[in-house]
Amino acid sequence: MLLQVINLSCGYGSLEVVHGLSLHVCAGEIVGLLGANGAGKSSLLKAIVGLLPPWQGDVRVDGRQFRGQPAWRSISNSMVLVPEGKMIFADMTVHENLLMGGYHNPDRSLQLEIVLDRFPRLRERIKQLGGTLSGGEQQMLALGRALMARPRMLLLDEPSLGLAPLLVKEVFSEILKMKTLGVTVLLVEQNAVATLQIADRAYVMETGEITLEGAASDLLHNPEVKRAYLGKRRNEVWE
Amino acid sequence: MSIFDRRYEMMARDELRQMQLERLQALLVRLKRNVRRYREKIGDLRVASLADLARLPFTTPEDMAESFPYGMLAFPLREVIRLHSTVGPEGKPLVIGHTRNDLVQWSRLVARQLVAAGVTANDVIQICMGGYVYPGASGYVLGAELIEASVIAEEPCHMDYQLAMLQNYRPTILITTPTNALELARTIQQRRLDPQSLHLRTVLLSRPVEQETRAQLAAGLFAAVKCNFGLGEILDPGLCLECEAGQFHVPEDQFLAEACEGELVISTLAREAMPLLRYRTRVACELHHDQCACGRTGAVLKPGRRLDQRSCVNERPLYAAQVAAVLAHTKAAGHPFHLEAVDRRLVVSIEVTEGLFADTTQFIANLKPDIESEFLARLGIEAEVRFVEPRLRSKTRSET
Repeated sequence: MLLQVINLSCGYGSLEVVHGLSLHVCAGEIVGLLGANGAGKSSLLKAIVGLLPPWQGDVRVDGRQFRGQPAWRSISNSMVLVPEGKMIFADMTVHENLLMGGYHNPDRSLQLEIVLDRFPRLRERIKQLGGTLSGGEQQMLALGRALMARPRMLLLDEPSLGLAPLLVKEVFSEILKMKTLGVTVLLVEQNAVATLQIADRAYVMETGEITLEGAASDLLHNPEVKRAYLGKRRNEVWE
Repeated sequence: MSIFDRRYEMMARDELRQMQLERLQALLVRLKRNVRRYREKIGDLRVASLADLARLPFTTPEDMAESFPYGMLAFPLREVIRLHSTVGPEGKPLVIGHTRNDLVQWSRLVARQLVAAGVTANDVIQICMGGYVYPGASGYVLGAELIEASVIAEEPCHMDYQLAMLQNYRPTILITTPTNALELARTIQQRRLDPQSLHLRTVLLSRPVEQETRAQLAAGLFAAVKCNFGLGEILDPGLCLECEAGQFHVPEDQFLAEACEGELVISTLAREAMPLLRYRTRVACELHHDQCACGRTGAVLKPGRRLDQRSCVNERPLYAAQVAAVLAHTKAAGHPFHLEAVDRRLVVSIEVTEGLFADTTQFIANLKPDIESEFLARLGIEAEVRFVEPRLRSKTRSET
């Protein structure tokens, strides 16, 4: 197991938002984490990488304890978070954004070529300011910037957020290609159908707890998933 | 060595334990949200690790009987597309529901079992329970279809038809009950037929049998003998598979098995419609996790005897309370009786007390066929009624 989360709880102030949750991701997998707004998905990702201090539980990377280490350490564990809303540097060029992603990497010029080959659109816009890119291109830039760190694992927080359906398709096809690069992906999403179409396994999260886990193909037609990510009650789904 | 689902059947123990913890936590959440009985039982309990399992409450067959029919469903009935029933304590009915996804999982688990028994897409499978409507037969059909083996969808009742089908269709796999298999082997021997001419490669029995019976059947039917172990309340077949090394493996990605004071306790980790938490199966067992030569990592189970009063007649489960309920519809109502299973029949010995005694023997003579037809009609069991003197009471006597 590349990433192992055991009984993790975290929250803000006195409010617990993730309640003793466990999940794991094996090397080479794409694992989806689905849930409605406010289910605690992003908080969980922050707690995994150390941006949010966990209240209890364990995070293990390659079997080694990771919990309690500063967030920047996650890079040396080859685990990179692509945060919600892309968070690219709007006033920097595409080139500078990518270099920032490989800040700690001495071979970043080599990695830059690999990333630009992966995303030819970024090569076309290499000198353009990040903030002037379209939504889809910004998401590609965020993915490319993450790849600059030569990660073994990407934690993607809602990459489809704010994108038109066609662009969502494009971004998800890029995520699927991560597999061929040997990159493991934990994909946090509200877009259940798109996620389950590319993921190997998925977890469904509701109000800080996992309610379902299984192969993505099994969950695709599961009415419980619909209930969870639409936030509907059991008797409302059929209305 | 054939393994249907290498990812789950040969999963490393540490990953399996992690997956069990995740599924157990999710199970608790679903049970607390969707099943009132469990909400009351579980309260605020949480599990931080599998070691906390022991703190969780048990589910008993009595819980299931009290919740009959739909009280244990964790899904709306509309999404439950299959209902099976079995007999619970004191003969009370128990209902087990399955969603579409449950049936998909069931087919995969049975496919694991069939592949472990050497079944391939090239095989022809005859499922023949000797006239007994075995709910698990539909599970075998699902599993066989998944591995694309051919299934003969007929249930010949008479031994002549069974033999004719074995000769005409030339099935390579026979799924049957031990009682039926033994009768088939006897018939073949009596008619001086050559068992090799039947083309059978494997006989899969619906329940475990002694080594001696296995050897007898292997010689009598000229086929390898494999056994199933299942429980109607949980899953039958599919709860276990017998591997090439002759061990029963529990698919631990789906079931969490414990041996509590020698009793098999099962939690269903992935079932949707009717998940069960720490279900006391009333079956004695031994469990261990020693490495098996077959490479499967699921716990090895050695099922033992039943720990309740359930007996078995012609492969059907039977409780004394069911017999009393049948007798209650006859003039022998309320009379002490004792039971004995002989071959496929149930021998019911009823004590003739003053209430039953009449001055004509005709009364007793008429009562006998009445009771026997009542057994056939209500329980589907062939019964032989004997009237005995009260002094012949045995220790197995059941009071009505």
